[in-house]
Amino acid sequence: MMNQELVQLIEVQQWLYREARLLDSRRYDLWLELLDRDIRYQIPSRFSVRQGHVKDFSTWSVERELEVDHALPLIDDDLPALRHRVERLQTGMAWAETPPSITRRLVSNVMILGNDRDGCVSVVSTLIAAKVRGDQRVLFTAERRDRVVPASGEYRLRERYVVLDDTVLAAENLSTLF
Amino acid sequence: MTEYSEYVAPDATWISPEIFSDLALYELEKKRVFGRSWLLLGHVSQLPKPGSFLRTYMGEESVLVTRDRSGKIRAHLNACRHRGYQVCQEDRGTSHRFQCRYHGWTYDSDGSLASVPGEESIYYKEIDKREWGLAPVARVETYKGLIFGNFDPDASTLEAFLGDMAWYLDIILDRRKGGTELLGPQRWRIASNWKVVAENHCGDEYHIGFAHGSVFPPDLGANRATPVLHGREIRPALGHGLGVNIFPDEMTPQEWLSVGLGTYPPHVYDYLLGIYDETVERLGAQRAHIGLIHGAVWPNFGMVPIVNSLRIIQPRSVCEVEMWSYCLVDRDAPANVKNWFATQTTRSFGPAGSFEQDDAGNWAAVTHSSFGPEARKHRLNLQMGAGHEERSERVPGELGLTASEINQRGFYLRWMHDMFGGAQS
Repeated sequence: MMNQELVQLIEVQQWLYREARLLDSRRYDLWLELLDRDIRYQIPSRFSVRQGHVKDFSTWSVERELEVDHALPLIDDDLPALRHRVERLQTGMAWAETPPSITRRLVSNVMILGNDRDGCVSVVSTLIAAKVRGDQRVLFTAERRDRVVPASGEYRLRERYVVLDDTVLAAENLSTLF
Repeated sequence: MTEYSEYVAPDATWISPEIFSDLALYELEKKRVFGRSWLLLGHVSQLPKPGSFLRTYMGEESVLVTRDRSGKIRAHLNACRHRGYQVCQEDRGTSHRFQCRYHGWTYDSDGSLASVPGEESIYYKEIDKREWGLAPVARVETYKGLIFGNFDPDASTLEAFLGDMAWYLDIILDRRKGGTELLGPQRWRIASNWKVVAENHCGDEYHIGFAHGSVFPPDLGANRATPVLHGREIRPALGHGLGVNIFPDEMTPQEWLSVGLGTYPPHVYDYLLGIYDETVERLGAQRAHIGLIHGAVWPNFGMVPIVNSLRIIQPRSVCEVEMWSYCLVDRDAPANVKNWFATQTTRSFGPAGSFEQDDAGNWAAVTHSSFGPEARKHRLNLQMGAGHEERSERVPGELGLTASEINQRGFYLRWMHDMFGGAQS
């Protein structure tokens, strides 16, 4: 690995850790500042489907479980929608997060897949997120496929595609951002 | 066990919390409610060609819905006739062959038993395969694209079961010649009894201003304490219920298109205005002036049509449901209109939706507090608007103000009727 690549990996890793820490400490105002104005934030629904050809592992892809005809995503947001999500929390009547949940995000398996032509860096990471409400704990596991864009000495999130591992979501709602 | 007259008041102005948590009642519901009612299985658009299949539930029973080689839609229990193992493990797909992975019995998409390993050598050709097909759901019928199943061979027709509810359902199902298609589902689990969720869809406008106070401007009037101008709760028959806007004749479509959850972008506004004449032609001007807000078809088919959301409230235990939430769109709508509704449904009533997020906790809490024997001694109030039901020349059914608990009372009277017999109007 070249020095330059190593520096980029550490920068992106640190950016992801910082983002997770902002969310765990409920600084949604500062989190919004990490987003690019053209952000697309998606969590697809996942289904149990047959693999393609049983002898050909290349057809056993996760995508088959995500790209199902006529599926609806769990979240499909742009910047105004994400801002609205955050502003709603400040009304005092967003009951699913009033009082706020206790969350802990563990970001791991960070890999830079490449530098794209438009200047974005493609990065994947594994996320384990715990949410505690009252006396109940929910655990989410996911792969995040991000594209971040360098901007004024740090990065902005341009795209996030969260591959949750649940088919039927084992949670009463998705009030947690990943 | 409690006398059943203690569960629901004769006029349903109170209910006992016991009905949300009693295991014996839940076991009885599986037979008397989910074993006898028409239950929503899906939509014909989900089974586009012969071999298309989907897996769903009727009550807690796993059900396989298929389109067979002749194009007919069929539903069977998803259980091998040898040892009962599910023959379909996938949510959906395309296949005419369903093979049990325990011993390899294989069924066709029409439910017939196609092959049995060892049929000649170890069964001595003595097994009559015609006798051992998948157990069919006794009745399968469609209503304007929606597929329903009923385990009861003696049940009334689907149309009779829907009654005047169909008159209202047409407003979303039949406003265009091309009909509709269904997107989804999004699926999530809630620690709630199914009735708590279903009655909310059926008739609870009261919670909107408060439980969803994060979404509405404060001037809306918390708790719907001020009745909504054109709003009405409507009870087409016991068990079914709707909240609607009935716009006066003198109001133009341009005017009432502005009464929604936010404003439509130009391409959606133009689309809705553009189909107005077609809707009037198909349904008449009277129904073209009615907007559906929320509703439920007995027992567990909920809807929030104001954002095109349909949902099946799948009971998984006495205190757990899976919410299966869909978006209904006109089949012939342009792609950018369909996409806009899909996004709006997701952002408002998906599991991360601005409305939906705050609902689940309420339903779980109501269920949770119904388990204690002390709590069960105390009845829950359901009297809002009782004795103030009205009739209208314009629309079928009984009417209440927005808000009124007319529909929840109908819901629990229907429950009493299905569970223990009794008057049904």
